[in-house]
Amino acid sequence: MFKKIFIPILTLSLCLLLLNFWTLGFSSFTVFSYTLKKAGVIPRPFPPIQLIDQDSNIFQIKDKKKYKLVNFVYLNCPFVCHKVNNQLEQIYHKLDNETVPSRLEFITVSFDQENDDLQRIIRYRKYFGDNISGWSFALPYHYDQKSFDAFLSKLGIWKYKIPSTGLINHSIYIFLIDTDNNIIKVFDPARDTNETIISEIKACIKV
Amino acid sequence: MHKSLKNIINIISILIGIWFISFNFNEWLCLTMQRHQLIQLPAMLLIGFMTGYTYRKNIKPDQTITICILILTIFSIIFWMIPRSIDLAVINEKFNRIMHFNMLIAGFFLYPVLSKTVPEIKIVFLGMMASMLMAGGITLKTYNLLLCSSFTIEQQKQTGLILILVGITLYFFTIFIFLRGLKPEELKEKVNLNDSIHTQ
Repeated sequence: MFKKIFIPILTLSLCLLLLNFWTLGFSSFTVFSYTLKKAGVIPRPFPPIQLIDQDSNIFQIKDKKKYKLVNFVYLNCPFVCHKVNNQLEQIYHKLDNETVPSRLEFITVSFDQENDDLQRIIRYRKYFGDNISGWSFALPYHYDQKSFDAFLSKLGIWKYKIPSTGLINHSIYIFLIDTDNNIIKVFDPARDTNETIISEIKACIKV
Repeated sequence: MHKSLKNIINIISILIGIWFISFNFNEWLCLTMQRHQLIQLPAMLLIGFMTGYTYRKNIKPDQTITICILILTIFSIIFWMIPRSIDLAVINEKFNRIMHFNMLIAGFFLYPVLSKTVPEIKIVFLGMMASMLMAGGITLKTYNLLLCSSFTIEQQKQTGLILILVGITLYFFTIFIFLRGLKPEELKEKVNLNDSIHTQ
């Protein structure tokens, strides 16, 4: 009798244990959420990276002593990246002049090193208007694909290029980084509304 | 002579099936979510199921092992429906092979186990599978977020719709099994009723 009950319960428990391990405690079912969670709990330091912006300024995220809102895109993206940037554009215009650019800076980084160059990001930035000071569009500076991919996984961004189509499926998280270079919030533009993101940014900056 | 020839033909057919699904057409089957989730995964399960059917006489599990095998089968299917597992199975070749092998083994034990178990367990198992497929399908269909990075959102939604339909079909099949299981009891009751009328 004991054996009859014990063995199925043991089997079920082992299955649940494996599922729990596989999904990091039943919380990460996709590669996107898994990579983010695996990168560590927030607050955590933003990994070092050297970037070059539309004005050819070379900089590190940690060198900017203000709050930063960082997202990753690629310009050949058919839909999602532009949707996220449109959302960021709305957030940018809803924030007052005292916040952007003096206390907060927007940084959009392209991770398609094969196709995106400075000329392309300059052209792309112009779609958002001429007066967007405090919103930089940047590229990784002197990084080979392997080390840049390592940076992305350290940060918690999943990226996968579909061989048949060349499309890059990737995480669309937006990172809020404080003045000490710590990631303090991660927004998911697919779930978080503009109002939520704005109120969270304001709450963090005021503190 | 006949028996051994039949055995050889069976083994060759199974190996050809595995070779086609797991090797020859693997790349093609991994191109879209529909092919991966609705053709490749069930095909491996079906090959396993047919192998199990062929060698059903050699497998005689008791009730405890039967329940364990059914738990492991459900777990295997759940595991390979998790978006992260799907992605890794498409991206990583070794992981892909593990998925095929797992489905093959799960299918292999399914026929001997289901054919020898009581109808109640059969109904619970089929009902759970139907619910699981429908729940998975609804998730894929209704989510406007890309869940698997290897595929597109359109493929995700189409796969979801087909999974819902498969789940509904399996649900009706479960009801059919349930009603078929009830029939002998009803007949027995009728016979008992007739007997009692005659004796009166």
